[in-house]
Amino acid sequence: MAIRLNPDLLPSLLASIQESKQSETVATQELASGRSVNQLSDNPIAAASLVQNHDQAGADGQFLQNLSTLQSKYQVADSTLGDVVSALTRALSLGTEGANGTLNSADRQAIAGEVQGLLNQTVSLANANYQGAFLFAGTKVSAQPFTLDPNTNTVTYNGNSATTSVELSNGDSISANLPGNQLFQNASGSVTGALQDLYSALTTGTNIPASVTEVQNALNQVNQQRVFYGNNLNQISLSESFLSQDQLNLSQQENSLVGADLAAVATNFAQAQVANQATLNATARVLGLPTLLDFLK
Amino acid sequence: MGSLSASLNIAVGSLLAEQGAIETTSNNIANVTTPGYSRQRADLTETSPIEVGNLTLGTGVQLQDVTSLRDSILDLRVNQETQQQGKLNAFIGGGQQIQSLFNETSGTGLQAPLTALFNSFQQLSVNPSDLTTRQSVITSAQNLAQALNQTSNNLTTQQQNTDLAVKQSVEQINSLTTQIAQVNLQVAGAAGTGANAGPFIDQRQQLINQLSSYVDVSTVDAGGGSVTLTTSAGTPLVVGGQSFALSTQPNATTGFQDIYSGSTNITSQITEGQLAGQLQLRDQEIPSIRNSLDTLAYNLSNAVNTQQQAGYDLSGTAGGPLFTPLTQQAGAAAASKVAITDPNKIAASGGPAPGNSGDNTNANALLALQNQQIVSGQTPIGYYGGLVFQVGNDVSSAQTQQQSGSLVLQQIQNLQGEVSGVDINEEAANLVRYQNAYQASAQVTSIINTLMLATINMASGV
Repeated sequence: MAIRLNPDLLPSLLASIQESKQSETVATQELASGRSVNQLSDNPIAAASLVQNHDQAGADGQFLQNLSTLQSKYQVADSTLGDVVSALTRALSLGTEGANGTLNSADRQAIAGEVQGLLNQTVSLANANYQGAFLFAGTKVSAQPFTLDPNTNTVTYNGNSATTSVELSNGDSISANLPGNQLFQNASGSVTGALQDLYSALTTGTNIPASVTEVQNALNQVNQQRVFYGNNLNQISLSESFLSQDQLNLSQQENSLVGADLAAVATNFAQAQVANQATLNATARVLGLPTLLDFLK
Repeated sequence: MGSLSASLNIAVGSLLAEQGAIETTSNNIANVTTPGYSRQRADLTETSPIEVGNLTLGTGVQLQDVTSLRDSILDLRVNQETQQQGKLNAFIGGGQQIQSLFNETSGTGLQAPLTALFNSFQQLSVNPSDLTTRQSVITSAQNLAQALNQTSNNLTTQQQNTDLAVKQSVEQINSLTTQIAQVNLQVAGAAGTGANAGPFIDQRQQLINQLSSYVDVSTVDAGGGSVTLTTSAGTPLVVGGQSFALSTQPNATTGFQDIYSGSTNITSQITEGQLAGQLQLRDQEIPSIRNSLDTLAYNLSNAVNTQQQAGYDLSGTAGGPLFTPLTQQAGAAAASKVAITDPNKIAASGGPAPGNSGDNTNANALLALQNQQIVSGQTPIGYYGGLVFQVGNDVSSAQTQQQSGSLVLQQIQNLQGEVSGVDINEEAANLVRYQNAYQASAQVTSIINTLMLATINMASGV
């Protein structure tokens, strides 16, 4: 005798309908969101990696934003120093002109007047700020670092010699500033000192060549220091391309962690649809099958 | 020697027997869609023959019994699987709500506020004297504290709802055990009189199956058709016609409902069924997640506070804690709060000298915490990633178990159907057979009737 079959096919038919409907829903969800992981339980490992991924991408984004701030800041500092270089170059030619023995006192006074102007200009350049923070004040960025005594032409530095560092990307730091005294009152060539000396040399008519040499030293010194900003700007653009690449890598990683393979999902969806329709069709037929009762007359 | 009246008796007996069989068939067809119904079989047997001289004469047919066809082993297996399904379904239901709190795939978790806090330190490092930047440190810290509060509160709400569900489950269990005790008596009664106890057993099995979805039940045959139900740890639920109600009492420490049988606390003994799933959520899963959350909140806020206190604010004063200091780890996430409102008080500077507003030494140190193992030997985000994994994995492994279990259940139910399901074709065939037999017996009655009339007429000489 044949094994008695379960006469009630409905539960297993309903289970199949549900199963094919489920795959259809999953595929729809993946297509709609573009992600294969929509809940943590879909893939806990990928979800946990995603936390790290998003954290790193977020940090990278902030680093990139910081870089553009730093870049503008260093550009301002660099062009300020450029202006200082021009002023010193002008002072150099004025000094050379003043050293010419054929000039009379009045001529020298006129030149000294111009040097005075250059000193004023340099001091105001040295007091340059970026977004309210003085660029050449060490870490005392909230107060004007240089003051000029109009009587003695003595320039006083009120900042400090502290330097700071900033991170350009994770674990990659650069030195962030040059203190003003190192730039403008360096022992191997003080900008303000040289201009002050040149001015008094021109007004008194003594020691002019020596003060011209001082200006020359100051100029060399500023040019040397200025390299710092050039280097930093280079570093920044290197970091920028590193971070952009890292972001790209992270978004690729995110895609491979939780992104849906759209072609595959679309195929799954089509298959699930076909399966679902086939199951529905089969169910309808099975439910409509005649029983013995239909043939009993 | 046979007699006409004996034949008539046989024919009438047959009519009654076939009528009973038709009734059984009709009942089967009527119950074709009734859940828990086991098909019944009309057991027709020959009646005892009589011996007349050297003749043995049959005396007809009788409907000896109506038997319900069921396999009690399959019933037990269904109950077992139902218990497991109940537990897993309850756990998954709660777990899915929990995991939505940490759904990093849609960005609703704690990763964003965590990253934002460290990003604000990063910004601070670049622009330590800027008040807007300093303010954004405070705002980021507030957002993180709020996110921690909210997540912790949501977990608490979930835990309280689960506690409510525990109470409801216990009420359901009590209502079911009361009904089972009643039906148990009916089964024993029917079995005692030799009647078919099948319908009552159907009903009882249906109830026990419902009970199984709530709690682990072990069924022991107590003899005489009665069953004894206990939890798997042996707490009695139903003995004969007596049901033993479970009760709930708030736990002195947690305030959540403990489950009692009489005066015995059996909370930890419930191993299966919806109730076990709810208890697992309430007493293990949610506390464990909250503990992780508290560990993160406590260690992170301590580390940030320590670093903030190591630095100096805009006025050159030593920094105060950024987050309100937490006295203990338990409840840290719910208690997280930002202590500073004045952006000047953010300690970005590494030295006490006044006017050191461009000093970012301490801002760098705060930023460095991001990659330091300050939370249980892991970085904050690494630790949080582990938490996310735990939450997702608990749900996912329960789902896997639930799926394979439901396939097993489906299979056993299919086997049950093979034994107990009503097949319309079979019933129709039987119906035709019984109908034919009935019609034949009716015909026989009618013929005997004619014969008897003929005999009577013969005697009266008409």
